[in-house]
Amino acid sequence: MEMNVNYKIGLFIPCYIDQFYPQVGIATLELLVKLGLNVDYPLKQTCCGQPLANSGCEADARSIYLNFVNNFREFDYVVSPSGSCVYHVREHYNILEQTEEVTRIRQNTYELCEFIVDILKVEDLKISFPHKVGIHHSCHGLRGLKLGASSELVTTRYSKVHRLLEKADKIELITLEREDECCGFGGTFSIFEPDISVKMGTERILDHERNGAEVITATDMSCLMHLEGIARRNKNKVKFNHIAEILNQSRL
Amino acid sequence: MYKDKIIQRIQKNKHSLRPLPENPPKMEDKIDLSAKFCENLKIVGADVFRIDDESLVSPFIDLHFPNAVDFSDPETWKEYSSTDPIDKFNKLNTVILRGQFGVAENGAVWLDDTFFSQRIVPFIAQHLVIKLSKKNLVGGMVEAYRKINLTKTGFGVFISGPSKTADIEQVLVFGAHGPLKHTVLLIN
Amino acid sequence: MMNHAAKAGKFLADLKRADWHDQTLWIMRKKRDKAVSCVPEWEELRDKASQIKEHVLSNLDAYLLQFEVEAVKNGAQVHWAFDSESFNQKVYSIINGYQAQKVVKSKSMLTEECGLNPYLEDKGIEVVDTDLGERIIQLRGEPPSHMVVPAIHLKKEEIGELFHSKLGTEKGLADAQKLTSAARQHLRKKFLSAEVAITGVNFSVAETGTVVVCTNEGNADMGVQIAPVQIHCMGIEKILPRVEDLGIFIQMLARNATGQPITTYTSHYQKPKPGGAMHIIIVDNGRSEHLGNSKYRDSLKCIRCGACLNTCPVYRRSGGHSYNYVISGPVGSILSPIYSINKYKDLPFASSLCGSCTNVCPVKINIHQQLYSWRQEIFEKRLIPTSKRYGFKFAGKILASSRYYNFFGKNIRWALKHLPRKVLYHRINIWGRCRELPPAPDKTFNQWYQENYKRN
Repeated sequence: MEMNVNYKIGLFIPCYIDQFYPQVGIATLELLVKLGLNVDYPLKQTCCGQPLANSGCEADARSIYLNFVNNFREFDYVVSPSGSCVYHVREHYNILEQTEEVTRIRQNTYELCEFIVDILKVEDLKISFPHKVGIHHSCHGLRGLKLGASSELVTTRYSKVHRLLEKADKIELITLEREDECCGFGGTFSIFEPDISVKMGTERILDHERNGAEVITATDMSCLMHLEGIARRNKNKVKFNHIAEILNQSRL
Repeated sequence: MYKDKIIQRIQKNKHSLRPLPENPPKMEDKIDLSAKFCENLKIVGADVFRIDDESLVSPFIDLHFPNAVDFSDPETWKEYSSTDPIDKFNKLNTVILRGQFGVAENGAVWLDDTFFSQRIVPFIAQHLVIKLSKKNLVGGMVEAYRKINLTKTGFGVFISGPSKTADIEQVLVFGAHGPLKHTVLLIN
Repeated sequence: MMNHAAKAGKFLADLKRADWHDQTLWIMRKKRDKAVSCVPEWEELRDKASQIKEHVLSNLDAYLLQFEVEAVKNGAQVHWAFDSESFNQKVYSIINGYQAQKVVKSKSMLTEECGLNPYLEDKGIEVVDTDLGERIIQLRGEPPSHMVVPAIHLKKEEIGELFHSKLGTEKGLADAQKLTSAARQHLRKKFLSAEVAITGVNFSVAETGTVVVCTNEGNADMGVQIAPVQIHCMGIEKILPRVEDLGIFIQMLARNATGQPITTYTSHYQKPKPGGAMHIIIVDNGRSEHLGNSKYRDSLKCIRCGACLNTCPVYRRSGGHSYNYVISGPVGSILSPIYSINKYKDLPFASSLCGSCTNVCPVKINIHQQLYSWRQEIFEKRLIPTSKRYGFKFAGKILASSRYYNFFGKNIRWALKHLPRKVLYHRINIWGRCRELPPAPDKTFNQWYQENYKRN
């Protein structure tokens, strides 16, 4: 690994992971430390501002954006276990004045898997995961950050998430009928269009289950929060783990 | 009156000029065009017969389409002029036309009114049979449009297979309004 | 008028039908994928098509004027209409000029947009929509639910009942082949007696004054080649510069729309037929104004292929009639607010912003980004209910401060942990109607980090 050990990595933990799924944050931190990185977690971070911006009030999210910038100005890279938050910073922090600092932060904020594959240039994390796993390709990561080639495109197929998982010992990655259909979370979409949101999520789970998935994983805990919420209500057997937990070999 | 208003609004609102990309002629892939053409004809629901020589076409037609009206024969135009009542054309069952060229990529054949004047003929019949020379095939649509001179025609059409619809529960049905059957005689 | 979410709820209440609708359109998406994968340079074609359209929009006035000159040279009569009212009036005056009363019309979303049919019918003109799907919905008295397959929401049994009632077919007939055959015979009579044929325009060519219409059924030609008068209705954005540009668009349209390599008929109307009259109406209806809006101008590139509808997980599960606009789905949700941001303020929110639509668009319209932009505009114009607006502003203040954020987070977790289920899952909790709420850990990651993490 060529990463300069003096690079400072800032860990951004999305608000809902911080509050409801701290184990995902812990797994992310442990994994990055295992990879030999100098990681710090700024304590005053809050949120990337996406829930407001996607609902139409990006103007009111400005101060949230500025809090992000304030917390991460000291770092060479910002890494986060969330495709949608990272996409939001890279794509929609354009409403801030584009100072050198803002530009640098936007360019160097990475989702966990793309950071490992593209920056650390690591693909084999030497893990073992003896389960049938379905990958849910969260949309913002897939189409926004190009973590993979989405099925609409006529191009060489690739997936950074798949690449990291396929090397795990004893893992079986299942194939879905609808490879990359949206789960229906969509932030406040899940509240404002609840019927479609739940229908979409229910069908994602069924697709995974029909194809033998024991565990569903994704780069975005928001998708998994929504899917798990449906699965627990409907008493589906499938389990949910964020990609960080699998890659870190956390005690699951 | 409206024209000026619309043009002025456009001039006020349009953005700065963007470049128009060029379409350089593609290097034709060294594929067997007639094989691809026939494959695509089958996909679009057409029948295709390969005929070894032009001299074998008439006997073939006499055998398989004995009651066909041959609109590739200029004599037929005299019998079916464009001033004849439409009911006469409506009684047409099988018609024969000559296609000018075919497109391998999609099984389409180009016909335009430099070769026939009764524009309704390819559409109103129940079965359309097209005679096409194998040497008149191009690979794709970009090449196809280079072959056409629209200014010399009044009407031209690419026809690919029989008339079809899937408007009822996406079930494919041939013969929505145009011919139910489409046959290409590909002649060496 | 019920908003999209409410209509979607009703649509989904009939689960079996909703699943069938979703699956049918998903199959169309898969057919599209197969057809476009046969074109290895597909992504380059998208770039080209997008650039051609952007060029056209930046030089639109010149191309329209060139088109008119060429079309007139060809013997066509060219008219201009500023809005839907002037368009409808123009069509009527042309028809009336020939003292005609029987009109056949092939598919044209523009005429739907302008409400042409009711206008003409009011004046005693018989207008028969000849595309099978369009005829079905015309007989039912409802708008199209999809721009390419207008009757996709109907089952063959319903069509059978309709034809029994309106066309006299046998009761209980539900065979697609037989129903199509009945429609063929019924519409053939209309074609044979039609005095005027109206079509839309898929593409027009400035260089030559050509009008191009693509159909699978042949209904445009059955109309145009029989009726003495043909009228082609064209939105100003449909123009292309050169004949050679058609090579790209014709290669792309049917593949993306229905998964076919090309439509059965790609008709090029150049000159009137001998003894016939050819009219072309160039229609603005807000497009020249739309051109001036840099954020949303790109949606004028749309070639109405419908692929964004087929790929949209929301459209597939809510149906076209949930959108309340002539064009539904993702592209409808970015076009409709241009006409009335207040009437269509719910549509940009009828999306999870998954971005699939942008990826299937043959002309690379940034649909999901426009949806996002419209949301900002709708919020700025205060078209969101006051309670929601203040709710979000409040959330903005909380999330900008780690102190408030942690305070609220703690209380939310306390509530999740301690409130009785009956309270937590009160029906006011929309999330909780069909989903369990997330777990409530004792400590946040932030707290764990402060207590546990020791640097190496």
